[in-house]
Amino acid sequence: MHTDSPAAHSQANHRDIIMTSKFVKFLYCLLVMVAPLRSAAAGDKLIVVSSIPTLKSIVELVGRDKVESFAIATGYQNPHFVDPKPSFIMKLSKADGFVTSGLDLEIGWASSLIQSSRNAKIQPGGDGYVDASRGVPLLQVPSSIDRAQGDIHIYGNPHYWLDPLRGKQIAQNIFETLAKLSPENRDYFAANLAAFDKEIDTRTAAWEKALEPLKGQPVIAYHNEWPYLEERFKFVVVDFLEPKPGIPPTPSQLVKVISEVKSKNIQIIISSPYFTTEAAELVSRQTGARLVVLASSVEAFDGVNTYYDMFDYNVRVLLEALNSPPTN
Amino acid sequence: MRRKFLFCCLLIPVALYGQTGPVSGSVMNPNISLIGDFRGMYTSELARKFEFMFNEAEVSFQSSIDPYARADVFFSWGRDSAGEYSSSVEEAYVTTLSLPMDIRLKAGRYRMTTGRLNTVHPHTLPFSDLPAANRGFFGEEGLIDEGVSLSWLIPNPLDFYQEIVVEASDVPAESPFFMRPASGRYLYLAHLKNFIELDENTTVELGLTGLSGPNEDLRTSTIGGIDFTLKWKPLRFNRYRSLTWQSEVFLGHYGEADGGSVRSLGCYSFLTYQLAVQWFMTGRFDYTNLPRSADVVERGYSATLGWYATEFQKIGLSGKLVTGNAVADRSEIALRWIFVIGAHGAHAY
Repeated sequence: MHTDSPAAHSQANHRDIIMTSKFVKFLYCLLVMVAPLRSAAAGDKLIVVSSIPTLKSIVELVGRDKVESFAIATGYQNPHFVDPKPSFIMKLSKADGFVTSGLDLEIGWASSLIQSSRNAKIQPGGDGYVDASRGVPLLQVPSSIDRAQGDIHIYGNPHYWLDPLRGKQIAQNIFETLAKLSPENRDYFAANLAAFDKEIDTRTAAWEKALEPLKGQPVIAYHNEWPYLEERFKFVVVDFLEPKPGIPPTPSQLVKVISEVKSKNIQIIISSPYFTTEAAELVSRQTGARLVVLASSVEAFDGVNTYYDMFDYNVRVLLEALNSPPTN
Repeated sequence: MRRKFLFCCLLIPVALYGQTGPVSGSVMNPNISLIGDFRGMYTSELARKFEFMFNEAEVSFQSSIDPYARADVFFSWGRDSAGEYSSSVEEAYVTTLSLPMDIRLKAGRYRMTTGRLNTVHPHTLPFSDLPAANRGFFGEEGLIDEGVSLSWLIPNPLDFYQEIVVEASDVPAESPFFMRPASGRYLYLAHLKNFIELDENTTVELGLTGLSGPNEDLRTSTIGGIDFTLKWKPLRFNRYRSLTWQSEVFLGHYGEADGGSVRSLGCYSFLTYQLAVQWFMTGRFDYTNLPRSADVVERGYSATLGWYATEFQKIGLSGKLVTGNAVADRSEIALRWIFVIGAHGAHAY
């Protein structure tokens, strides 16, 4: 079968060169054909992508009808574990701004999406990049860190948006970027920011008053994500169902928690929509403590559409739990 | 030589620290991580049936260079079949961050975009070995080469993710299908990636790949590939349940010195189901011919149970049966323990 004549070899090489040449031409034609499909930039609104719906809501409250807003995570999704789907890259490639909660909360997914977006505006340091945590007073900033402690955040607890007054600093950060991206609308954004701040002050006073009965009450939480809500509304998280942050509840931890709930007469267990409820329900059945699944983000539940709705919802369900009889 | 290599690696952060002026050195250091891969193996056909090995240590340095580009460098210390360790640059490439027209350029040594599996590092896979088709078509470590890669997000009326990647590389020094010639010919690759969200929990990716380059006979080898991936993961409880079904088919055409050619086929398909927050089960089927012999057939059937303690540690137990018409049937059992220390890397989808 092997025929190593120079003529046959030369013919074969010629065929190879033609084949490679056709391959390169095919690629060129493909690029030329799809080039006209490139879409134009969308409208005169700023396109702002946020990592989580809470930030999206604040973007909408400050930007109003001058922004088109989109969130990558859903409100009922654990923000630490979001899959960086390529479809998000399409959104980010066209974005004027990107708002991240920062503090490494989205470390496993946001950076790869931003890098893949090919969009200079939204890279860290770019005009459209907003680290919403900038200037926010943080809690639980560790003095030393080791992964044996579990899923510890080196810059501090990243769930700061759960304090409405810290939400004002988030809005300020978003305002500064919107004003930079669209200076002609600076006054419009400033007026919206002032209205947001005023609304938050008014509503926070009402929320604090409504949750007076919770003041000083010991509470069990599934995961360590409530220190800012705890500080604002003066309840006390005494333990967690997770033995360490990010580690699923273990039987020994549940036994310990059940003992604590009984000895301290704890009435409430709080959790988030993205954790299963088996462990919390077990503790609830054994002790009578009520399980309350709070909205840890905007859009966590139907009807929780804005930053204000999130606190309205949480205040309502906490009060309902306080006023309901024990579960056992 | 190895000591010098290690010393140089350790100097990199120090050197960068020296360039930062008043800013804290630790802030400007690249993200550094080390991934270890320890194994216990049973292979029925070997005289020494049980074996423990520290299979590989991989050290990565990753960081933005400036507003225009980032660098990713991966060094590997791997163990060969004789039990000797050697170091290598597994990948080292620069990627642009902000070229116009949704274009991205990558240059350096990198895993070539031959479908789905070849682009990821083996320790991220839900099984302990590469499918026979990938080893048979691209080599034991996959197709890794020095070159340039250009990718473009293709705008389309339906606004779904569509990306085309074209790559030209130096041709791997040695791989089953390709061989670097003494002069003037290169390996060309094109990959079209289509990604569609069926609903918020379910996605489909369909890819087409073509490669063409010189082979050992100084002729041309071409490979055509199709990849298909279906993923399901409920967003609300995304840490508790998920399913991935991934398949790739490769069709090879090997030009022989006498003007003849060989057509060969390779494929794999695997299904991973997440049983609980830390438990994953994977089943895989492999099939492959050899590049220069379509008559040789190897089939593999494997199952892996994985315990993923955290994002930084996982243990997998695999059982595999290999059958074929060129070698004796054999069975393999592998226990693989993967750990990561250092920076938290970003996940790929």
